Amino acid sequence: MHNIATDVATHSVESLTLSDNVIRLIINDEIHQLRVEPDWTLHYLIHDRLGLTGTKTFCDRGACGSCTVILDGRPVLSCMTLAIECDGKRVETIEGIAAKQHPLIDTYVKHHAMQCGYCTPGFIVTAKALLDRNPDPTDEETRQALAGNLCRCGTYPQHPTAVREAAQILRKG
Amino acid sequence: MTMAQESETHLPGSYQRLRADGQYRVGAEPTTIAFNHIGKRGERRVDGYEKATGKALYTRDMVLPGMLFARVMRCPYAHARIKQMDTRSAEALPGVRAIIRYDDPEVKGRALNGSYFAQGWARPKLAGWALKPVHLVLADEGWHEGQPMGVVIAADTEAIAEQALRLVRVEWEELPFVLDQEDALKPDAPVLRPGATSNEIHDPRKTFKFGDVEKGFQEADRVIEFQARRRAHLWAGAEMPSVLVRWLDGRMELWVHEQQPYHAKQLLAEWLDIGMDQITMNTVYQGCSFGGRGNPANHSENGMNILATLLSKRTGRPIKMLYDRRDTFFGESGDIATSYFKVGFKNDGTITAVQMKNIFAVYVAATGVDHLVENTKIPNLSCEAIPVDVSIGPAWWARCEHLPSCLSLTLVFDHVAAELGMDPIEVALKNDGNHGHDVSYLLQYMREHGFPERDSLKECIEIGKRAIGWDEKWHQPGARKLPNGKLHGIAFTWDHNWDDSRGTGSAAVMIENDGSVNIIGQHVDIGPNPWTPLCQIVADEIGVPFESVHIKPWTLDTGFALMSPDGSANLVANGAIVRKAAQKARRMLLELAAEVFEVACPEELDIQNGAIFVKADPGRTKTIRQVVTKAMPMHCSGAFWTQPPVLAWAWHAQGIWGQADETGRPRLCRQAHFMEVEVDPDTGQVDVTRVVNVNDVGKAVSPEAVEGQMYGGTILGVSRGLIEEMVWDPRTGVLLNGNLLDYKYATALDCGPIDTCFIETGLGHGPYGTCGIGEATPTIIPALLSPAVYNAIGKWVDDFPITPEKVLQALGKI
Repeated sequence: MHNIATDVATHSVESLTLSDNVIRLIINDEIHQLRVEPDWTLHYLIHDRLGLTGTKTFCDRGACGSCTVILDGRPVLSCMTLAIECDGKRVETIEGIAAKQHPLIDTYVKHHAMQCGYCTPGFIVTAKALLDRNPDPTDEETRQALAGNLCRCGTYPQHPTAVREAAQILRKG
Repeated sequence: MTMAQESETHLPGSYQRLRADGQYRVGAEPTTIAFNHIGKRGERRVDGYEKATGKALYTRDMVLPGMLFARVMRCPYAHARIKQMDTRSAEALPGVRAIIRYDDPEVKGRALNGSYFAQGWARPKLAGWALKPVHLVLADEGWHEGQPMGVVIAADTEAIAEQALRLVRVEWEELPFVLDQEDALKPDAPVLRPGATSNEIHDPRKTFKFGDVEKGFQEADRVIEFQARRRAHLWAGAEMPSVLVRWLDGRMELWVHEQQPYHAKQLLAEWLDIGMDQITMNTVYQGCSFGGRGNPANHSENGMNILATLLSKRTGRPIKMLYDRRDTFFGESGDIATSYFKVGFKNDGTITAVQMKNIFAVYVAATGVDHLVENTKIPNLSCEAIPVDVSIGPAWWARCEHLPSCLSLTLVFDHVAAELGMDPIEVALKNDGNHGHDVSYLLQYMREHGFPERDSLKECIEIGKRAIGWDEKWHQPGARKLPNGKLHGIAFTWDHNWDDSRGTGSAAVMIENDGSVNIIGQHVDIGPNPWTPLCQIVADEIGVPFESVHIKPWTLDTGFALMSPDGSANLVANGAIVRKAAQKARRMLLELAAEVFEVACPEELDIQNGAIFVKADPGRTKTIRQVVTKAMPMHCSGAFWTQPPVLAWAWHAQGIWGQADETGRPRLCRQAHFMEVEVDPDTGQVDVTRVVNVNDVGKAVSPEAVEGQMYGGTILGVSRGLIEEMVWDPRTGVLLNGNLLDYKYATALDCGPIDTCFIETGLGHGPYGTCGIGEATPTIIPALLSPAVYNAIGKWVDDFPITPEKVLQALGKI
């Protein structure tokens, strides 16, 4: 098994022999050792068991992107991902992104890129994954990246402005 | 007779009393303050941080120690009755804690409450109008697939509750069903509603007559007839419904996903026969509803609250009752109708008569003619509206019940323009007016009531024409093929409604002991970005920095409740409420300050940017904190407690409960919308490449909030007109696309650039001249697809949504 402890400087775990149904996850840079049922989704684990409620359920069927988390660097739909298959992986949720004061938080607030706010964390997580791999996306690339996220309030036109401004802030360091 | 006299003649009694008390008045209210924060861009959105970081808690996120999860059975057939039900296997499943059956004494034969309207408390003439409690809380007969019925189960987890539902053995008697509203009116159609003799919802049948349509047709140079259809779309808000209830032996507390929590509390108390004082009702953030959760009498609100409470009573545990996504597809469908039009007009584009017939499926509100009445000078109108029961869930409006009215307005004048080969803008302006009068009637009203006398529709049109390039781009139908092989279409529509509509509410403004300001009043954010503008208003009315004002919207039991936009109004009502409360609080503060400053009267003082000073000697200044330190709600030592807290509350009734025709008061809102499309003649695909919204918003308190509403409305409108459709299997009556993979709605890629333009003439009845903005755009835009596609292909496709298949049929290709 991959030694996940070496990935995080401030935490360490002893090497244990894990029993069935026990997984290790790094969630927002913190190590969790968790006993999970085989049918638990990653969303259920994060939202319902760990109380990280920023990861939302909207469509409950892999259609809306509100439950998006970043799993080993890629945005995934946590409602369509089984928790038990995530052993040893690194998960980044909206709470982790906010804790690091990612500029997306401020640019989303500044440009009112939200209405009721229910889908907003899913958009920001998706946008963060975009900026991780593309530090200077165009409007069109941003729209394409966010096309899997549904917003019933219809905030789509405001997102590229917020995302590209955050990209600019990141590039300036 | 002047319009002022006319409105007094028709003013309902309750409003006459309100007017006498100074609580209600018609006309513009002069602005008495300087704008520092009102209208300013860049004010930090007050709910932004919580929403962006995921820290905002929604009803679905709430948990209580020891809570159980509840799920209700749903009718699996389009129409069926339970002959026998055996719940023993479900009861035996480990983790199941309570089961309530349809024949248990708590629920047997008991219906939902119905709404205020249905009970006739507020408007006797609407009593029974499809809002009456037709559903039992737990029925033994379902007359549409998905109707909550039979049994509700509480268990340790949602999964166990689901599993237990599957273990309930039911012997069903399937019954005949009917899906189409016109089929349902045929003599041999099965009658669906238990106890009814026909599927027509008679009570009352809505008809509207204005002038003499036969005379109007005789005066016409030409008469045309056409028909339109709207298929089923639904709201499907972001957050699926849920409620969390904790019964406390006669008292109870709950966390609701409700647009109107006070009404919901009233209905729940009445059903349970307990005092309203026994119910503590909390709201938190809510996934958008825009009206979709605006009927507290629906089963998804009233029924859910009741069943969760009964389960909590039985188990002694908190109950969280949940809907899943498919559950939201029953009982939230939008307007479904078949419409027949007959229109008479003169060769110059003047419309002389419109006759309409609308046959609605499970629809509950407008006749469909309303916007022709309120937006035009057409002298002769008649409309028959026939609502019909079919085997689909009951409808409720979301952004908004006037979808059929906007469709009628747009189709009528665009068909006339097409017949005459005229620019639709010319036809629109030729027929512009109100209640059969021309625009001079509106201008006279504005003059008599203190509004700027300014015909801003023409200004809106000019702005929109320039933005979209109308004069260069408009062409005869089917006449412009683009280099990419697609057909270009361009269209225009307009509207006057949505000024301040209606609503009442209350709130308090309290100046804390450190000089910061709280707005206290329960309020539900259903999506329109409501709170930042309220803080901007209070900041400017008192004279404090925007950053020192906050809103506390969660608890109903403060006694103050801002209006949730069930009455199609938000800021125009709530802005007036908080303005009044802020003005009172400022007065209290200045009275207190007069003592501190030792001046003769409060009028000698002013407040700016959080500092109180003597007007005649601006160097004499104190912070608000230095003044209010003597005024506090409580303190451990009486020696410090010398003044009452600076807390003032206000109540306000904005708009007219009902519509303008009750009072003769015209609506003052102007807007013009433009759209460009490209239609692929080979595939029938319609791409919306550009939309321009132009609104006279009166006053944009928060420009960003205004733009957000226009963006959102356009996206929703395009989605409804082009994409969204619920599809039922005609053989079984079962919904085929009850999820968001198969029921599509617009994504970030489904609409081209949107220009949001607004002007601010102060024409609205709301505070500072504001008028409504949130509801208009999504209600108007769907219809605009039809003239846009007509302009592109030269054929009408008046059947919504305008799918590629229908376009190809219109082009004769399939």
